[in-house]
Amino acid sequence: MNHDQKLAVIKSRTRRRMLFSMTTLVLYFAFILNWTEFGSILAQRLGKSHITGSLLMFCGLIVTFILLELLFLLLNQATTRSGEDV
Amino acid sequence: MALSGNAPLQPLDPLAIGMFLAFVVATLLVSYWASRRTRSSADFYTAGGQMSGLQNGTAIAGDFMSAASFLGITGLVFLGGFDGLVLALGAFAAWPLLLFLLARRVRNLGSFTFVDVVSQRLDRTRIRIVAASATIVVVILYLIAQMVGAGKLIELLFGLPYEVAVIVISILVLAYVTFGGMLATTWVQIIKAILLMTGVTITAFLVMAMSGFSFESLFATAVSNHPRGEEILAPGVLFDDPVQVTTILVSMLFGTLGLPHILMRLFTVPDMHEAKKSAFYASLFMGYFYLALVIIGFGAVAFLYGDPQFFTEEGGLIGGSNMAAIHLSTAVGGNLLTGFMSAVTFATILAVVAGLTVSGAAAISHDLYAQVICKGAPEPRRELMLTRLTTIVIGVIAIVLGILFQNENVAFIATMPMVVAASVNFPILFLSLYWSQLTTRGAIAGALVGLVSSISLIVVGPQVWVSVLGFEQALFPYDYPALFTLPLAVITMAAVSYLDASPRGVVDRQNFHDLLIRSEFGERNQDIQGVPH
Repeated sequence: MNHDQKLAVIKSRTRRRMLFSMTTLVLYFAFILNWTEFGSILAQRLGKSHITGSLLMFCGLIVTFILLELLFLLLNQATTRSGEDV
Repeated sequence: MALSGNAPLQPLDPLAIGMFLAFVVATLLVSYWASRRTRSSADFYTAGGQMSGLQNGTAIAGDFMSAASFLGITGLVFLGGFDGLVLALGAFAAWPLLLFLLARRVRNLGSFTFVDVVSQRLDRTRIRIVAASATIVVVILYLIAQMVGAGKLIELLFGLPYEVAVIVISILVLAYVTFGGMLATTWVQIIKAILLMTGVTITAFLVMAMSGFSFESLFATAVSNHPRGEEILAPGVLFDDPVQVTTILVSMLFGTLGLPHILMRLFTVPDMHEAKKSAFYASLFMGYFYLALVIIGFGAVAFLYGDPQFFTEEGGLIGGSNMAAIHLSTAVGGNLLTGFMSAVTFATILAVVAGLTVSGAAAISHDLYAQVICKGAPEPRRELMLTRLTTIVIGVIAIVLGILFQNENVAFIATMPMVVAASVNFPILFLSLYWSQLTTRGAIAGALVGLVSSISLIVVGPQVWVSVLGFEQALFPYDYPALFTLPLAVITMAAVSYLDASPRGVVDRQNFHDLLIRSEFGERNQDIQGVPH
C-alpha cells in the first residue's frame, strides 16, 4: 500500500470513528433530557406499568452502546476482509 | 464512595472470613506462578503483552467494577431510585468511546503506559514529566479514596479494626504486584470479575425470584415501600439541576477515558485487534453488570425498607446506604450469600488497588526513571528492581495515607481523580492523537490549567468548602467540575499551540504525520521520515 492509499484508509477510518463517537455522545447526553422540561414525557409510566420512560432509556442506552460497538467491530472486520483496509 | 464512619462494628463473620481466605490463597498461588514468569520490565508492566482479548476484557471489567460501583450505585438507587443510575451510565459510556477513538491508536503507539503515546510526537522529557506527574496525582488520589473506603468497609463487613484492614490490603497487594507484576494483577482482576459477576447474578436472580420474576411486581413493591413512593421511578429525587447531571456525566465519561491504570491495560495484549476485542468484552461484562444493578438497586428498595433488622434505632440503614447491597444479599440469600458478597467486595478492593499500584509504579520507574533520567536506555535489571522497590513504596504510602485520612470525608477525594483525569490526561491524549497543531508548549499549558482549575473548583465546591471546611455556602455549586475544566484545558491547549512559534512547536506539528501513519498501521512508515525528537 503506497502513501496516498494509506492516507485514504486513515481518512475513511477516522470518518467512521467520528460517526460512531458522535452517535454515542449524542445518545449519551440525550440522557440529560430526563432532567429538563423537554424530556418530562420520559418520566411518565408506560401505560399502567411501573416502568417509566427514564428507566427504559437507561437500559436501552446500555444495550444500544453495546450494539454500536459490535457493529463497529463487524464493519472493521468486513473492510479488512475486502482488502480496503488492513 | 462515602461510608459512614460512625457505623457500629459488625461481629467477626467466620463465613465471610473463610471465603475471603480461600480467595487469598488462590490469588497468592497465582502470584507465585506469575512471579516465575516475570523476568523483565515488559513482563512486569504489561504481562509480556500476551493476554488474549477476552482475558484482558475480563480484567478491565475487574479493574473498573470497583466497590464504589457495586456498593455506591446500589446505595444511591436505594436512596433516590432512578437518579442513582446517573453514575452507572457515566461509567459505562466511556467503553464504546475507548473502542472507537483510542484502542487502535493507543495500542499501536505505546509500549507500557499512555505517557508513551503522548511523548511520541511532543518533547519527550517535558511532556513525560507533566503526564507522569498527572498520572501519579490521579493514582495517589484514587488510592486514598480506595484505601479509606476499603478500611471502613472491611471494618463494617468483617469486624476488623480499620488500621488492620488497611495494612492487610496493602500487604496482599504488595505480594501480588511486587512478585507477579501485571500478570498476577491481571489474574487477580479476572478471578475477581468472575466472582463479582457470579455474586451479582445470584443476587439479581434471587430478587427476581422473590418478585415472581416480574419487573412490574419488583417496581410496584419498591414504590410502595420507599418513603418517596412513585418519585423514585423518575428523575428528581437526588438531582434536580440538568447542569449538575451534565457535569457528572462529563466527568465520569472523560475521566474514565483518562484513567492511567485502565489505559495501561491496552498494552497487555499482543496487537491492536486484541486491544479492540478487550474494549468490547469489557463493555459487554460491564453492560451486564450495570443492568443487573438496576434489579439489585430496586430490589434493595423493595426488600430492605420496612424490615427493621436492617435499620438502626434512629431509622438509618445499618452501616449507611453503601451497605444496601450487602444487606440485600442477607435479605434474599441469608448468611451464605452475605459471606460470599462480603468476600467478593474485599476481593474487588484488592483487584482495583493492585491495578493502581502497577500503574503508579510504571509512571515512576518507566516514565520518569527509564525514559527521562536514563533517556530511554536504562539497565534492564536495575529498572525491574526499581519497579519492585517503587511498588513497595506505593504500598507504604497507601497505608500511611489510608490511616491519616481515616476520619476525613473522602467523597471529595474520590471525585478528584476522575475530574483530574478528564481535565489533564484525556485532552493531552486525545489531541496528541487527533490534532496536528498540538505543540508541547500548548499541551503543558493546557495540562497545568486543567490540573489547577480542577483542584481549585473541587476545593471551593460543596464537598470541600461546606462539608470539610465548614463554610455555609459553596463558592462553586458543583461537585464534579469537569464540564468547565475540560473545555478550559482544551481551549488553553489550542490557543497556546496556535500561538507557539518556537522551533520545537514546528517539530511537534511535523511529527504528527508520521505518528498518524504509525498509529493506524502499527509500523514506522518507510515513505515518510518523521522529524527526530
